[in-house]
Amino acid sequence: MRRVPLPRRLRLFFATGVAAMLALAATGTASAIQPGGITDEARLMNELFWIVTIAGLAVFVLVGAALVYAMIRYRRQGDELPPQFHGGAKIEAAMVGVPVVIVIALFTISMITLVQIDDKAEDDALTIEVTGFQFSWQFAYNMDDLGTNTDAAAEGTIAIIGTPQNDPVLVMPVDEPVEFLLKSNDVIHSFYVKDFLYKLDLIPGRENSFTVTARETGDFSAQCAELCGTNHALMRFVVRVVERDEFDAWVAEEAARQLGTGTRVSASGQ
Amino acid sequence: MASVAVPQLSGYQRPAVLDWIMTVDHKKLGILYLYFTLFFFAVGGILALLVRTQLAVADNSFVGNDAYNQIFTMHASAMLFLFIIPVWAGFGNYLVPLQIGAADMAFPRINALSFWMLPPAGLLMFAGFIVDGGAADGGWTAYSPLAQQTGVGMDMWIIAVIVLGMSSTIGAANFLVTMFRMRAPGMTMFRMPIFCWTMLVTALLQLLATPVLAAALVMLFIDRNYGGQFFDPNGGGNVVLWQNVFWFYSHPAVYIMILPGMGIVSEILPVFSRKPLFGYKAFVFATIGIGGLGFSVWAHHMFTTGSVLLPFFGFMTFMIGVPTGVKIFNWLGTLWGGSISFPTPMLFALGFVSMFLIGGINGTYSAAVPVDFALHDTYFVVAHIHYVLFGGSVFAVFGGLYYWFPKIWGRKLNERLGKLHFVLMFVGFNVAFFPMHMLGLDGMPRRIAVYADSAGWEALNMLSTGGAFLIAVSMIPFLIAVVMAFMRPKDQPDDPWEANTLEWATTSPPPDYNFDSLPPVRSERPLFDARHSNGEGH
Ligand code: HEM
Ligand SMILES: [Cu+2]
Ligand SMILES: [Cu+2]
Repeated sequence: MRRVPLPRRLRLFFATGVAAMLALAATGTASAIQPGGITDEARLMNELFWIVTIAGLAVFVLVGAALVYAMIRYRRQGDELPPQFHGGAKIEAAMVGVPVVIVIALFTISMITLVQIDDKAEDDALTIEVTGFQFSWQFAYNMDDLGTNTDAAAEGTIAIIGTPQNDPVLVMPVDEPVEFLLKSNDVIHSFYVKDFLYKLDLIPGRENSFTVTARETGDFSAQCAELCGTNHALMRFVVRVVERDEFDAWVAEEAARQLGTGTRVSASGQ
Repeated sequence: MASVAVPQLSGYQRPAVLDWIMTVDHKKLGILYLYFTLFFFAVGGILALLVRTQLAVADNSFVGNDAYNQIFTMHASAMLFLFIIPVWAGFGNYLVPLQIGAADMAFPRINALSFWMLPPAGLLMFAGFIVDGGAADGGWTAYSPLAQQTGVGMDMWIIAVIVLGMSSTIGAANFLVTMFRMRAPGMTMFRMPIFCWTMLVTALLQLLATPVLAAALVMLFIDRNYGGQFFDPNGGGNVVLWQNVFWFYSHPAVYIMILPGMGIVSEILPVFSRKPLFGYKAFVFATIGIGGLGFSVWAHHMFTTGSVLLPFFGFMTFMIGVPTGVKIFNWLGTLWGGSISFPTPMLFALGFVSMFLIGGINGTYSAAVPVDFALHDTYFVVAHIHYVLFGGSVFAVFGGLYYWFPKIWGRKLNERLGKLHFVLMFVGFNVAFFPMHMLGLDGMPRRIAVYADSAGWEALNMLSTGGAFLIAVSMIPFLIAVVMAFMRPKDQPDDPWEANTLEWATTSPPPDYNFDSLPPVRSERPLFDARHSNGEGH
């Protein structure tokens, strides 16, 4: 076979290619941190995300550099046959050992995070019952279950129901645990709030639940994450995190409108 | 050894078409498999371009929501069931008998049956587009109960996938018997070419996992058509059962989709590094390990169902990273200290190693359970799938085509066009799929037909669409190279690459009966030994 010295252009191509990929990887992961999530649970997950990212980047850079180095350093320069090295027991043991250490470390750290997230669940939390349907959401608040520091303004349940054209708004208080009960009667949906860094499926015949404590107020867009039919893409909703007194006022207003028992709030509102 | 006596009527020549239809020759069947699967690669590719066109801008109405669901479902179904799984059967058919020094597969007629089950299944699946209600639109995962709701196209899809599964199950049995029973004298199991080893483990996975998929699909068919209640909670069924059974097949299936690609890369790297594969046995055991562990991780696709034993499946999923890591070391060690040249097959093999590395790393994110809660069913997972299946498997397919083209067709593909093809595809691939990591982290769910302008996902989607079209453009130099090759006479010597394995010990292309004589097999590199028979370097 002809001698094939690696032409300078090709070398340049590899070098820039690798540099570009590293830059891309760095910007990609950098852009990922921006929001970081708004709940206690999300912050824990965010830390784990960074640990995985650092480990992943380290592996990528080390292996990538070794690959590029080998391609340049050991390019064919003549017809002489290189040493025919087949491997050896020691180095092959290391080939197993290194990944074992990495994956066990990452697994352990993930499980610690998982346990910490589960620890947060609290019984007396405000409970919001979320029902997904083709193709929107219903958010129901039981007046008996509005969290520790609220007296029910009325008996019964208030519900917010959306349509594919009109995204429903889920209102919840900041700085206290809120439990979500997830149900579906038609197909599987998935309750995905990007700023919670969390999603959980709504499964017919099964009730799922999770608890979060939000630490930031504001409007956060969210949507269904499990393919559920034609208008799956339109199953959007908004999570509105507000201060507790604002939440109570909102509940009273909705109760007045929906249950007809409220007297504390004027009906003239927005 | 084993040889098949082919009765010949002297003086009679079958017309060429009949010859192709009636052939039981593993080489011709292998070529048919390759044509068939590359055709569906093109079909799946066109569907992908439709998907990317729809997603290029926010609030787009290029295709409707219903059509979109059909298009992405059929894109995935074509790419997985009609391209990547059977393409390995194509390479395997052509190469396994040659690489082990046999005259044909163990059961040539069954081999023909395996192939001829594919075209009707492909037609049936795609005929969904012309029936009422359109083609299957529940995703290639066909989650119940959604899969209970859609039209007759879904039933056609179910039957097609069952037939395709039968084809690969009997094909797998054929490969196993061939490799266990028909190896050339001297070829012990641990002297078998590494591509054969990956085909062997793939065949085992197919034999064990595919019938489970068939069972699941039959249950789904009964639920849909005869009022069965396997997956219906109102009748005592269980919705999540579908996912358990589906992924019990489909996780092993992701290894069915990549192990032979790893095998191809592990043939190419040693040849163009002029060194043996580093750690041959470690590679074999890692392949077996991946196959075995692959059966214990299925529920990592279901972390967000709330019905999964998270620590167990998280742990097993991480453990799969170990044999995967071993392979990366195999490939690095092969290059290390070598004498490396860079013809087109080698470029694709190196493309595979680097892209698969990324695919392994971004898979780790999803293995870390709490991180998966955020990333599951977002574009991050779409990026992961494509770094393994495109950056991995598809690069291996093209590496294999450039590498074995001289053997199969007796001509070489133009090197310059091949390099252009590689560069365009490598750049296009990364431009198309790297931004999907960011989109996923920014909360874009997969399988959505439209997104709002206010979501802020448009720029990255536009970039990704540009990359997808660049991949399409990269096919042009490839096709030109193929046409140019076929316009030239067959001029390739037995062994144009100075390769290692037995397929290079016969003419290019090989005669019907494959070998006039076989060199002695005293290692996993009989041709290397023959070239350096003074024993140098061993
Ligand atoms: C280190 C190796 C790997 C790890 C740790 C890994 C991990 C994962 C995990 C946890 C998921 C589920 C993500 C989710 O849906 O939230 C996933 C999805 C997927 N993986 Fe991998 N993976 C690896 C290698 C591979 C390989 C080699 C292939 C195929 C050749 C593959 C193909 C897929 C596919 C097709 C899906 C998505 C299936 C779907 O939902 O449609 N992965 N992977
Ligand atoms: Cu949905
Ligand atoms: Cu999997």
